[in-house]
This record gives sequence, structure tokens and C-alpha cells, in this order.
Amino acid sequence: MKATIIEPLKPLAPWVSLATDPAAWAAADPATLDTMLTSMVLIRAFEEKVLELAGQGLVHGPAHSAVGQEGGAVGSVLAMRGSDQINGSHRAHHQFLAKALHYVAPDGLKSSAPFGDDVRTIADLTMSEILGLARGYCKGRGGSMHLRWAESGNLGTNAIVGGGVPGAAGAAWAHKRAGTGDVAFTYFGDGAVNIGSVLETMNLAAAWKLPLCFFIENNRYAVSTTVEEATAEPRLSSRGLAFGIPSWKVDGMDPLAVYLAAQEAVKLMRAGEGPTIIEADVYRYFHQNGPMPGSAFGYRSKDEEKAWRARDPIDRVAAEMAARQLIGEDQVASLRARAVALMNEIAGELIEEHEGKRRIVPSLWPSPDFRDFGVRGDLSEFQGARFVEQEEFTGEIEEKRFVDVVADVMDRRMQEDQGVVVMGEDVHRLRGGTNGATRGLSDKYPDRVLGTPIAENAFVGLAGGIAMDGRNTPVVEFMYPDFMWVAADQVFNQIGKARHMFGGDGEVPLVLRTKVAMGTGYGSQHSMDPAGIYATAPGWRIVAASTPYDYVGLMNSALKCKDPVLVLEHVDLYNSKGPAPVGDLDYFIPLGKAKRLRTGQRLTVLTYLAMVRPVLEAVERLGVDADVIDLRSLDRAGIDWALIEESIDKTGNVLIVEQGSIGTSYGGWLAAEIQNRCFDMLDQPVQRVHGGEASPSISKVLETAACAGPGEIEAGLRLAMASQGRPLA
Amino acid sequence: MSHSIEMPALSAGMEQGTIARWLKAVGDTIAVGEVIAEIETDKATMELEAEQAGTIGRILAGDGATVAVGAPIVLLLGDGEQAADLGDDAAAETRQASVAAAQPTPVAAERAALAAEPAAEVAAESAGAGASHRRTPSSPLARRLAREQGLEIDGLNGSGPRGRVVRIDIEAAAAVQPASSAAPAVVKPAPVRPVNQPFVEIPLTTMRKVIARRLAESKATVPHFYLEVDCEIDALLDLRERLNAEGEGQYRLSVNDFVIKAAALALRQVPDANSAWAEDAILQFEDVDISVAVATDGGLLTPIVRQADTAALSGISARVKTMAERARAGQLQPAEYQGGSFTISNLGMFGVRAFAAIINPPQSCILAVGAAESRPVVKGGACVPATVMSCTLSVDHRAVDGAVGARFLSAFKALIEQPLRVLL
Repeated sequence: MKATIIEPLKPLAPWVSLATDPAAWAAADPATLDTMLTSMVLIRAFEEKVLELAGQGLVHGPAHSAVGQEGGAVGSVLAMRGSDQINGSHRAHHQFLAKALHYVAPDGLKSSAPFGDDVRTIADLTMSEILGLARGYCKGRGGSMHLRWAESGNLGTNAIVGGGVPGAAGAAWAHKRAGTGDVAFTYFGDGAVNIGSVLETMNLAAAWKLPLCFFIENNRYAVSTTVEEATAEPRLSSRGLAFGIPSWKVDGMDPLAVYLAAQEAVKLMRAGEGPTIIEADVYRYFHQNGPMPGSAFGYRSKDEEKAWRARDPIDRVAAEMAARQLIGEDQVASLRARAVALMNEIAGELIEEHEGKRRIVPSLWPSPDFRDFGVRGDLSEFQGARFVEQEEFTGEIEEKRFVDVVADVMDRRMQEDQGVVVMGEDVHRLRGGTNGATRGLSDKYPDRVLGTPIAENAFVGLAGGIAMDGRNTPVVEFMYPDFMWVAADQVFNQIGKARHMFGGDGEVPLVLRTKVAMGTGYGSQHSMDPAGIYATAPGWRIVAASTPYDYVGLMNSALKCKDPVLVLEHVDLYNSKGPAPVGDLDYFIPLGKAKRLRTGQRLTVLTYLAMVRPVLEAVERLGVDADVIDLRSLDRAGIDWALIEESIDKTGNVLIVEQGSIGTSYGGWLAAEIQNRCFDMLDQPVQRVHGGEASPSISKVLETAACAGPGEIEAGLRLAMASQGRPLA
Repeated sequence: MSHSIEMPALSAGMEQGTIARWLKAVGDTIAVGEVIAEIETDKATMELEAEQAGTIGRILAGDGATVAVGAPIVLLLGDGEQAADLGDDAAAETRQASVAAAQPTPVAAERAALAAEPAAEVAAESAGAGASHRRTPSSPLARRLAREQGLEIDGLNGSGPRGRVVRIDIEAAAAVQPASSAAPAVVKPAPVRPVNQPFVEIPLTTMRKVIARRLAESKATVPHFYLEVDCEIDALLDLRERLNAEGEGQYRLSVNDFVIKAAALALRQVPDANSAWAEDAILQFEDVDISVAVATDGGLLTPIVRQADTAALSGISARVKTMAERARAGQLQPAEYQGGSFTISNLGMFGVRAFAAIINPPQSCILAVGAAESRPVVKGGACVPATVMSCTLSVDHRAVDGAVGARFLSAFKALIEQPLRVLL
């Protein structure tokens, strides 16, 4: 029998608890303590006002208060500088205000001094935003859960649990690359610590040594579910052990302890040591949402609430300051009274009495026509851009392999723009990723071609953060389109909605490349055409080139565009040859411009990507008198209605051809739109060619049957002609 | 579950069809493409081919029944079904459709009269629904074009799926019936019955109705004028005799065959007469396609001799002969009588000396040919006998002026009187 030898393993990074003792309080800078107190009192008064308005039905939507948790936010923010950045979750008024106040008063706030105009403005615009008013930070779009004031380092708070964490990593990446020493804090609660976005981002931030602090406000309840119910290790800072992240556990009701832990964390991060974790034990006095205490809902006791309230962070700081004779009871009372008066005054300007009831002053609401403003940008960044279609190209054109041109144009852009950074799984190896689309790039730009862990949600979210930061343009590759489901929150809830949700002005210049792989035998989970999903999700632009020449111009436009752009590629095209420019890789093809490849009188065929060529072949072979249009831009804003309507007005008949399955197909929404816009032009319903219902299987025969191919295209053409009384021979 | 086969629209304008006879009976298995019945339409008797295979479970419209286009005429059995499984509902439905089609209700008649006024049309549409009127399916584009051209969709033959009227059908209808803003407002006269006069009422066939409607429209809306010419045809008769003798029975040319060929060649010389009025334009046809009026028991049919200007006389002769036979047998296909650029009507065989014909719209001209008869003519100051044939050209003045018509007749006369030129 062999003996088993067991030796303890040592985690790479330290995991410690940090607490204050009387000496720490005695040594604390009085001005810092005064700022801490003043900030917390202002935040408390603000939040209590919001709860009061919520109780009167004046806050539309939830009011998630952090009353009781101010110590964590204020303690940590005071360890930062103005150029550092934070984001948070659905419960973030306190973090947002703490950061904003610290930004406008970098030298601190004085409890004895009147509140400045800056303070008043912050409270006004934040309250206006929470009420959904036009003057709010996000013009009323964001409300309580989407507060963004980029200038102050507030990147934007988030209603998806853990959803903001990857984006904060993007901000941290941009800081690291800029070499400024700035850091980012991402705040989230005990409920978020178990979600993939957070854990994936911890891993990624540690692997890439990003200056990001994961600040866990452990308030013990995810709505009503206790932390002990949700995890076997309720000491949540333990998560750092798994990723090699130095971690601190502190009492969040002790703002000084939080401040001291944050100072240590910031010091490490500024020194380039990578991410940190701070877990602060805090308590929200009220329920998840609204002005009732949690005990009213039965998931915790009044005694428990009473015990936590006895450790109130404001009282604690006031008491410690009093002990050092830095402040008197009257001064504290006066500070609180002035803060309450300020909030009453601000609310008074937003609320009026009308027929005996309180209501929002009507003129403050946003105009309903603001509804869709800023879903995407206005493309003004293209002013003066050199748009050149292939027919107008004066240089030499040669037949080149599509995938080589994909790599060539990216090489050109990375050479011209130091901000272009490519990331994705294996993009840095295998001589250009799994298909050669990034060939040669990692040799030339090793620090800008980032092979990622297999964590689409984290790395695309991180790229979203880089894009919103604005100093760099990320180009993300999803090895297969289906992986978007893994990253769906970041792709659709975060990246796609960010611009609009935060007021419509922010830019999100991100390029997402992915290849449609139908025909490769990769089966049900690797074979979708994602165009239909992106087209129905707001915010995304989509381009799909069918020739190398168009790819160059469309990729250049995607990179120049200040919105997220999905660039669709196709494995069938990669190894095909097509017309490509020689020498000139700098021209653009407009977003929103389709291309008529063939002119006819009886049918308008709309198609894109790898279906373009087989459609042209079938139309010629069968002698169909058809307009064939390569859509090229596929998003709602990119549909070239001028060309399409002109064509349909002439032909009266439309066939939309796509390869993928019907469920998530692209053509459905487009057909509906055409039927709405062109009803009186139509001689038959919009006809469609698409794949079957099921996702393509691995078996070659079944895969072929699942995808639309030449047979389905011919059948579609025949049907569209027969249905107008002109059957093909 | 059983499925039905509906009365198909076999030609443009077909509203209903009569089952001439069933070729299959209940219990028979039918294959796709198999002829299952003969359908009598306004112009011809046509074969109905099965578009789906199956077993005949029930015949809903028996021999002789007249059924609206689109109404089910036969039920095919579903898997495992027996003929006895089919309930009466389907049959009842068809009877209703059949009755509605055979006897247009006053409401339906009113609909037609009111069609000119869109608001009234909508009201009548809902009234019509109660009278079992079947709405003709049509594409949005077809409806728009019909509205613009003042055409009625009801009654048009739909080329689209399930008989849907599509653009091509509107275009065909517009070519047949020149659009006119006033056209849809024609009010049908109330039926007239003599009071103290015994009579036999002969029901109108669909064909009779179409003839009545189209000729009434032509005479009422097309500004006709008439040009007459006498042609001496002794040389033509000689030539005809020689050619027929040489043909040794392989062909037998008629005077009318020469008339067709001469008219075709004259149209080639005066293409302005080979035209149609299309409201916004005059359409000058590229081909010379001569419609030849053929009398049948059911009425007049106009089978077409296509590209008659380039056809050999013997070919024209053979074609006219077979088509006349087929027309009388009710076997003409729509493509064989729809279209044409110029019509010739010859009543010479009945001894008619001369007559003026009604234009066959949208064509601009029709040539009425009388009998060849021996008449005294003055030549070199002396009165001599000659065989003379009087021809009258009816002309649509909107498309063709008098001088053009005269040039055509002059060219025609020259060809007829120097018939060797016809053979060139």
C-alpha cells in the first residue's frame, strides 16, 4: 500500500481581512473624514428623497436604494482620483454620487461650508435622471439604473446583474494601454458574484493584469435570497483565490476600513500588478426596491435590521470625528438638515401640485419624438470619406483569395491606426486564427492582437468597454456566430443598447467579425447565420461583403463608424477568389448602400454574403428577367430603400434569398417591412428562400438539406415567376 | 382529410365553366396530368388535367353543370377515407356556388353598375358578400393597376396561385378592352320580354355574352369609319386555278387565302394600319397576325394566322382549314384566338355583295370581304364583264386616319389584282 502525500498548496495571491483599530481612526486625515461624512450625508438625504418620491408614485420604475451602504461607496471612491473610473449595478445611486462629488471636489467637501453649485447640479441632474426627465444625465433615458456621467468617471450603471463588469475591464484595459496609471472600479453585490460575467472577467482581468478593482458590496441579500443560500463560500472575496487576484475583506459599515483597503488596492493597480478584489460587508436598510424595510417582506428580522442600523456608517464617522473633537453634534445635525433642505429644494423644482395631486412639472419630460434618437449615430464621421465602388476604382483589380484580403485590410488599418486592437480566440496563433483571417498580424503588432480565454461574454464585453472609452477601436472575432448566445448579454444588452440607453450621444466604435460556417459540418451549434438576430436587436449595424473588393471598403467603414458593426464573413467565401484592389486598401463603401448586380424587369432578388454568387448563377442559368441586389448593409438603418423600392416598383415581385434556417432568419423582418412599405407595388407576397427549421446537422446530407442551396434558389425563382403568371420553361 | 379540385380559369375573362363531361367516375384513381373532365368555356371545350393524384370520392358538379371559377367540382379522398365518409357540407357549398354563378343576382348586377364609384364599390362589396359573391383574389399591384386603368378585377382570369389575378392578367385585360374612364359605368339594360308574343327563350352561352359585350363596346366606343374598294379578281381566279391544279390535291387554295396573304403584305407596306389603340399610345405591332373570323354554332371565333405576311399561301390555307375545324369542334386554345393585329371577315360565300364589319378591339382595322361576282366594268371607254369583289375596311379613327386607310386599301387592291406579286 502506498502512502498518500498531501501538502497544502499556496494561493498565488493574498487574501486578507482588514479592519481599523482606534489608532487608525486617530491617525486618519481630518479633512478626509469630513469629506467622508459630508458625502455620506448628502447621499443619504438624496436617497431618502428618492424613496419619498417613490412612495408618492412619482418615480416610474424601481428605486433601488443603498441607504445603509454608503460607507463602501464613499470609502472606496475617496481612494481614487478624478481620472479613475467606476461603474455599478442597479443599486448605484450612492456610488454614482460619491464619484461625482469627488470629481467636482477633488480636495474634499467641508461639513461646515455651504454646498456649492456643483453639488447642487449633481443632485439635480441625478434626481432628474431617476425621474426620467430631459435634463437628467442621460436625458431621462437611463433612470435610476443607467446613470452615466462619463466626464466624472462614471461609466454607466447597469440593470443586468454583473452586466457592467466586463465593460469596466475594457476601461481598465484602455488605461493600461495608455499607461496613465488610472484604474477602474466595478461595483456589484453578493447576488452578482456567482454570475458568469463577473467570474469570466475576474479571470480575464487577472490574465491580462488589468487595473480593475472588483468591489463586492456584500449586503447579504439578493432580493430575498441570502448569500448563504446562494453559495457555499459566503466570504465572497475568496473568489480571488481562484484567479490569483489579491483580495481584501472589510467591514463596509466602517468607511475608514474601506478607504484603507481601497488605498492598498489602488496602489497595487497603479503599479501594474493587475486586478484586486475588495469585499465590503454592508447592509441595505430597505427592501430591494422602494421605501419598505426588508423585514416587512419576511425574509429577515427587525432585530437584524436594528443591529445593522446600530452600526450605521454615518453615525460611525460622526462619532469617531466627535471623539477627536473634529465635529460637534450640532454641526452634524446642521449638515443633515442642510442636505435634506437641498434635496427638498431640488425636488420642489421638479414636482408641482396640480389639482390637489403632486406630479412632475410637465415641461421637464423628454419629448416623445426623442424616443429613437441615438439608437445609432448619424454617420457624420464619414464626412469627406473617399467612397469608391469597384466600377469607379481607377487602380488595378486582381483576383485574390477572400481571406487574404480580410487579413490585408486589417494589417493596413493596424499599421495606420495604433488604436486598432484585434481580439478573439486563437487570433494570435495558427498563422492567423482558425481560418487565416488574422494572418501576420500578431507578428507585426504583438501587443494589439490578443488571444483570449474562451469567454466570449467577458472579452466582447471588455471590447465594449474599450469602445466606449474611445481611445481605441476593438475588433473582436467570434470564431463561430452561434457563440453570440454565450455572450448575448454583452452583445445585445450592453454594446447594442449602450449609446441609446445612456442618452444617445455616447459612441461605441466596435467591430465584431464572425464567419458563417454552414457547409463545414460543424453541426447544430456552429452553423447559424446571425444576421437576423442582430438586425432585430437595436444598435447594431451589419455589413456582409460578397467580394474581396467590397470587404475592404465595408471593413474600412465598419472601423470608421462610431457604432458597433457586425462584419459577417463566410467560410465559403474565404477560400474563393474574387476581385480585389491592388495597392489601395483605404477606400470606403458607404454603410446603407446596396448594390444592383444585374438588371431585369420581372423580379427583385435580394440576397447577401455567400448567396450572392449562386443566386446570380441561377438567375442566368434559368434566364430569369430579374434585378439581383446584394444588400451589403443588413441592419434596419442600412437597408437601401431607395434602390430596393425603385426595383420593386418596376418588377412588382420580390424574392429574398438567404442560406440559414427559418427561425432566426434574416428575411422575415425584411419581408414584413417590404410588405408594409411596398404593398401596392406587389404582385405576390414577398417570396423567400431559406433553410429548414432545425439548425444544420453534422451529417453532410442533413446539413445540405438544412441549408438553402442552388436547388432551393431555383425553386424559389420558379415559384416567384410562376406566381406572377410567367412560369419559367 | 379530403381535398377538392376547383373549376380552373382556363382563359382570360373566364368567370365560369360548364362540365361538358366527366371522364372519371367516383372510385377511379387519377394520376397527376391525367385528363379527368372536359370543361366548356365561352370559347372552347378544354381538357381538365389533374394537378394532384388521388381517388375520386365525390363529384360535386355533374355533367352539364355550370360552376364559377374557383368553386370545387370534385373531392379527392384522403388517406384511408372512403367515399361514404364525405359529408354533405362540401356538396351543399358547391351547389350554392354553382347557383350563384349561373344566376347573377340583382345585387351582383348592381355591383357592376356601381363599380365606377369607389365608395359605392366598397358598400356593394359587403352587400355582395351576403349574396355568395366570391371575391376574386388579386395582388395589390393588380388592384392598383386595375384602378388606374378603370378595369374590373372580378371575372378576370388569375394567373397567380389559386387563381390570384396578378399584373399580367391586368395587362392582358387592358390590351383586350381599351381602357376608358367612362367604360366601367356602362349600365346593363334590364332584360326585355315581349308581352303578347310567343317566344322560345334561348339561354345565353358564355360565348354569346362575351360577343355581345365586346361588340357593343366596340360599336359604342370606337369611332368607326368605312372605306370601300372594288377589286377585279379574274387574274387571281386564274392563278388560283393553275396553282390548285399543280398542287395535285396537296392543297386547295381559296380566294380567302389570297385575301389573307394580300392583306398581310399590304399591312407590311402600310404598318400604320397594323396597330391598336391603347389610350395613352398607339401600339404598332411588329408581327402581322391576321385574325380570321370563323362562324361556329356557338358564335363567332377569330383564330389567328400568325405572321401571315411571311407564310406561304399553302401554309395559310392549311392553317385556316384546321383552325376553322377546331373552332367548330370547340377545341381552340385561348392562345390560338387571343391577340392578332388585323381581322378579316369574309361573307362572300353567302352571296353578300358588301358589308361593313365591327372592329375587333383593340385592333384598328377589320376588312369585310364580299362575294366575287361578275359585273360590268368600264375599260378603255367600253363596258366589259369582270369578276369583282367588294371590300370594306372599318377603321378606328383614333388610331388610323382616312389617308392611311386608303393607302392600305390601295396596296391591298394592287396585290389582289396582280396576284403574282402575292407569291413573291
